[in-house]
Amino acid sequence: MDPFLLEVLRHALSSIAEEMSSTVVRAARSPLLREAGDLSSALTDARGELVAQGRDIPVHLGVMNFTVKALLRAVPAERLRPGDVWVTNLPEMGGNHLPDVKAIRPLFAGGRLVAFAVSLAHWADIGGAWPGSYVAEAHDSWAEGLRIPPTRMFTAEGRDEEKIAFLLANVRGPAEREGDLLAQVAATRAAEERFAALCAEHGAATVEAAMAALHDRSEAAMRAAIAGLPDGVYEGEDFLDDDGPGGAPVGVRVRVTIAGERAAFDFSASDDAVAGPMNTTPNVVAAACYYAMKAIAGPEIQPNGGCYRPIGVITRPGSLLDPPPGRPLVGGNHETSNRCVDAIFRALADAIPERISAGGPTTAGVLILGGTGPDGAWQTLYEVHGAGEGARHDRPGVPVTRVHLTNTNSTPAEIIEAEFPVRVECHALRLGSGGEGRHRGGEGAVRAYRVLAPELSLTTMFERRVVPPWGLAGGGPGLPFRCTLHEAGGGARELRGKQNLMVRQGDLIVMETSGGGGYGRPA
Amino acid sequence: MAGWQVGVDIGGTFTDIVALHPAEAPRTAKVPSRPADPVASILHALAAVGLRPEEVEELTHGTTRVTNAIVEGRLEPVALLATEGFVDVVQIGRQSRRELYRLDVPPRPAPVVPRERRIPVAERVLHDGSVARPLTEAAAAEAVRAALASGARSVAVALMHAYANPAHERLLGERLRDAGVPFLSLSHEVNPEAREHERSVATALNAAVMPLAARYLAELRRALPRGTRLHVMHSAGGMATPEHAAARPLVMALSGPAAGVAAAAAVAREAGEARVLGFDMGGTTTDVALILDGQAEITADARLADQPLRQPMVAIESIGAGGGSIVRLGPGGLSVGPQSAGAEPGPACYGRGGAEPTVCDANLILGYLDPRRRLGGEIALDRALAEAAFAPLAARLGCGVVEAALGVLRVADATMARALARITVERGVDGRGATLLAFGGMGPMHAAGLARAYGISRILVPALSSAFSALGCVAAEMSYMRQQTLRLPADPWDGARLEAARAALFEELAAPLRGHGVAEAALRREEVALIRYRGQSYAVEVPIAGLSAREAVGAAFEERHRALFGFASGEAWEVTGLRMRLSAPREIRRADAAPPGPPPEPFARGPCWFDAAGPVPTPRYDRAALRAPHALAGPAVIEDEWSTILVPPGWRAQADAFGHILMTRTGEAA
Repeated sequence: MDPFLLEVLRHALSSIAEEMSSTVVRAARSPLLREAGDLSSALTDARGELVAQGRDIPVHLGVMNFTVKALLRAVPAERLRPGDVWVTNLPEMGGNHLPDVKAIRPLFAGGRLVAFAVSLAHWADIGGAWPGSYVAEAHDSWAEGLRIPPTRMFTAEGRDEEKIAFLLANVRGPAEREGDLLAQVAATRAAEERFAALCAEHGAATVEAAMAALHDRSEAAMRAAIAGLPDGVYEGEDFLDDDGPGGAPVGVRVRVTIAGERAAFDFSASDDAVAGPMNTTPNVVAAACYYAMKAIAGPEIQPNGGCYRPIGVITRPGSLLDPPPGRPLVGGNHETSNRCVDAIFRALADAIPERISAGGPTTAGVLILGGTGPDGAWQTLYEVHGAGEGARHDRPGVPVTRVHLTNTNSTPAEIIEAEFPVRVECHALRLGSGGEGRHRGGEGAVRAYRVLAPELSLTTMFERRVVPPWGLAGGGPGLPFRCTLHEAGGGARELRGKQNLMVRQGDLIVMETSGGGGYGRPA
Repeated sequence: MAGWQVGVDIGGTFTDIVALHPAEAPRTAKVPSRPADPVASILHALAAVGLRPEEVEELTHGTTRVTNAIVEGRLEPVALLATEGFVDVVQIGRQSRRELYRLDVPPRPAPVVPRERRIPVAERVLHDGSVARPLTEAAAAEAVRAALASGARSVAVALMHAYANPAHERLLGERLRDAGVPFLSLSHEVNPEAREHERSVATALNAAVMPLAARYLAELRRALPRGTRLHVMHSAGGMATPEHAAARPLVMALSGPAAGVAAAAAVAREAGEARVLGFDMGGTTTDVALILDGQAEITADARLADQPLRQPMVAIESIGAGGGSIVRLGPGGLSVGPQSAGAEPGPACYGRGGAEPTVCDANLILGYLDPRRRLGGEIALDRALAEAAFAPLAARLGCGVVEAALGVLRVADATMARALARITVERGVDGRGATLLAFGGMGPMHAAGLARAYGISRILVPALSSAFSALGCVAAEMSYMRQQTLRLPADPWDGARLEAARAALFEELAAPLRGHGVAEAALRREEVALIRYRGQSYAVEVPIAGLSAREAVGAAFEERHRALFGFASGEAWEVTGLRMRLSAPREIRRADAAPPGPPPEPFARGPCWFDAAGPVPTPRYDRAALRAPHALAGPAVIEDEWSTILVPPGWRAQADAFGHILMTRTGEAA
């Protein structure tokens, strides 16, 4: 393939994915999408291999490499029609957790299926026992919300009203959720138009050849990057605080084998599936491995399906990373996945200490407040909390940031207070929380919420409360997370990392986030 | 005697000047900038067009001084007064990181105000403007004492929800002024919008550049005769008084690129082009902007050095691809930029030690750039050096040097086309029907290639295209713009509040214009409401000038929403903000159109490569020789001292009486 035309088409394909993301950000409803940007967009080839991505969250991008492939296994390609939009959120079908809803549109040229546009967005609610759909005590997947198998909700003729009504009847805030869905559909429609124009200009065969060539090129680049790592077998482990409702720390263990141009990640030694929502899917584990390899070996490599070919991922059926069907897993998406990255980094810590960072806030640090507004409509406030970055060999960690698989924004207090019945009473650095070291870990944050409504639901979903962020090369650990509820009637109690409860007017919720691990022995 | 209207744009490398006079031909020049002494740069530029300062009636200038101070971190120490519990917000930010996969770079720039100069104030205002904790005189005095003790001469005040009720900020402002603080920046004045981190940073940045701006503007005032009116370009593409700019220097932060866009908007108005894409390609970057109905699109989300500025600014997509951009073949594929050979050593063909292939070298290899010309009379171009720089790349790709050069330009075009997509798609505009307005040193040479890559068939290369930012300074309207948070639900609709907010904004914006002697009747007002469905993402910008009734505003919103996203749901909506622009249209006095000239004759012919099939003999013209009403069919090259217009086969170029050249696509060739 003409190397210049290949570049031209690469830019065009990336531009389409970027346009999708910008459409969702501007039109969607969930606050998560709007302030936090918890969404991703992708184009895949006809087989479902990721080709191009828009603005992105690393965990989504790894997962979307599997979504269309799973759709194609469930729905024969002959059933796909131009104008279709298929919706799914099943974790076991190329998914991660129920709130991440994928809208998938097959793209045709000359009557032939040549690509897919995928829009993934985190809906602020997908049903289930608690507003926001994070259920600490969930014992199965059905308790976590509505499970949507691949379903054609839009055709060339328009909306399939009954199916959409069925969907909306099962989630809180149906008007908002409909807005999210329409935004995702609009994004895939934009992609369809742009992609058709691209095929008209260059010919569909050329575009397909370019997609194949981009895979090959990224594969070659990733092989070369892996070859630059020292060969060997490395083992690492890290622990989740608990399995959800409680219990002892849960182990995530990896054996990393670097052999020439290939890297293998074997998580078989990880603990068994747990009762609570900290399980996750092999797709998510693969996303964690892809992220780790890109961060360590090749940040500049164009991420696509080919980039992942030299990377092997093994999970043990029955483990928390490959659980039996129907297990709950809402928290695994951003907690257990990040623990996989921790385990990989710790495995490689001695071999390439200068390429990795000490432990940081490998948790989304989620608090969800839910309630009905004065007009009776459901409202949810989904807060993510950054914390101190781990230090590196040449610099201290930065305070209050997101690391690794997560990269969502916080919502400004001035927006929260105008739209939700809470007052943010403080947002400050948590001084002294960074781990000791030649370079100190970054500081965490303190953020406090006063409840103004008579009653709100509160969900916590965070980690690093019991097992602190780790130091590297002799550096000390950071202070762990702590979330305290000061009740209006007096008295204070520490909340667990995964908990659902009701809070009342005048209560104060204080979230203190972790400091980063230090690097090197303190001088 | 009516004097000269002069525009001066002081860039990092060159200072451009354009001077207009009702009875004389326009004058223009480009002189090397003197970064240490910008006032001298202006005097030097005036001399270069043969003007003495006394002959200048009006001087408008754009400067990168504020820009560079922010980018290079040369900021004055600032003390920040913030609501107790929120002093660290200026540092914490929104906690996301820019580089997803790079662990070696810090996720965020260092804070504008270090912790030891962040001072808590015991007070609290809420989102509706009500006061939860009054600011006592004692608490104000305590905060003022701490600010003075910090030793900083610049003080920023950014209190929670000050945009909804500025009383506490005003009180602190008065006490700080009474205490003799020379540079004061209040958040409700700098950026009256919600989002505390962004507002705090913008307010602190403003305070940090105030001393520099004040010093500079005073120096400039002293250097010019008393009778000369002085204006400053602001980032929204208009001009402002020096007094306004000294108090709010942040409005100048992106004034350089904005000046070019202002010129593009003026040309678009004059030429009656409804939909224009400004394409400003220089040595290291390319800036593109969207101009609809003669007005540049505006954004309030512009950032500089990864810091939020929160000032209404011309919306510009800037990418690191320009004439000096280096071509590399890496693991991510073939890339053009963002690394640049810069002015030193410059592209390989400059013969100053540059060895890597650049975009400029490709243009020379293909015969577009003329090796006989000397850029600015100084730099000679060496084709053999360009070929030598391209040879290793061509060998790795298994093609010839000419094919590699052709290919590199296509990749550069694709890179720039992506910027065009971003600037249009976000605004629901199909850029393919637009006219590409090409300027900057490299814009006119790349315009046809970019137009082809993006599906555009009309290009306008304006007169004075290589000193276009300076023209923008002359042609800009005097204008003031403000965006503020206004939370107004549709139900119940409070039309009186909308009217009150409108009136207040109008008064604030009109004051400096009236002070400048602009008649009330001459004021032009544009108004945009930010509206969204309740709970929706970003608000949609809806022009609402003259609308007050709920039904009318709602209908305008839904129509705009449908145009942007393909649907409108009829749900509850709300206004979240209001933006107003007041301008005073300005009379540009310049000589009449040039009389028709004789048909142009080429001064030379030379081979140009437009595809791999082989060279095509191509006539070369002096730009001055192409005069109305004559046209040229491609292939042709049209040159002036600073830029080259490439007219490939399949394009036609026609001059108009004002010296603009309109290129249209006539066929499928090339």
